[in-house]
Amino acid sequence: MRYYESLYIVNPNFEQGKLEEVMKTVTETISDYGFKTINHFVWGKKRLAYNIQEHKYGSYVLLHFETDSHENLDSFERFMVLQKPILRNQTVALQDKPGKQTEKAISGEEEKKDSSKDSSAKKQTDDAAKETEAEKLRESEQEAEIKETEAEEQAQTEQNEENE
Amino acid sequence: MAFQSKRKYCYFKENSILEIDYKDVKLLRRFVTDQGKIMPRRVTGTSAKMHRKLVRAIKKARNIALMPYTNTSTES
Repeated sequence: MRYYESLYIVNPNFEQGKLEEVMKTVTETISDYGFKTINHFVWGKKRLAYNIQEHKYGSYVLLHFETDSHENLDSFERFMVLQKPILRNQTVALQDKPGKQTEKAISGEEEKKDSSKDSSAKKQTDDAAKETEAEKLRESEQEAEIKETEAEEQAQTEQNEENE
Repeated sequence: MAFQSKRKYCYFKENSILEIDYKDVKLLRRFVTDQGKIMPRRVTGTSAKMHRKLVRAIKKARNIALMPYTNTSTES
């Protein structure tokens, strides 16, 4: 039996529900390829060391799985690359079987770290909130522009009709 | 009086670490300069075997954006 670990980064603007959907599709494809999932949980939202597709933050998801053959690994890699919400992924072979890990245990560790670096953690969350707000603003601006152009077009068509 | 240099030692052998996890960024940061470059073995004193493993771990961490490839002065 071979053991693998796959760490992938999901779009940070995805809420809990959307993130779970992405994770669900990944687990489904994994079972289709004949792999058996051991662990699959969200590692946390972290600041990226460098921007990926203009994102400063990313939701890291950790996946451990086991398989007898490595035939479908290439197609699994291909599937992960083609997924739009997944910004980056990396699959690594493990020597030993990974132990069962839960989300709570990992988040507990992070809480300890956070308490020591409260100010930096607060800054990070503030930055993330700012980023999401900015994107929302951009979207609303785009919508407003579209509405304006539609209104102008309507007015023009009405004028043309009147002239005729 | 002659200059006495501090004796270098392999961090991993001293702490009996056999495998290096690429997700352990706190550990990897010790072996990287402020610029993000991997420090040479002659500076850190890491054993050849562990240095090879360390380099592979750092490169994996860089690929998944846990560590930077370069740290320019403009970035905070």
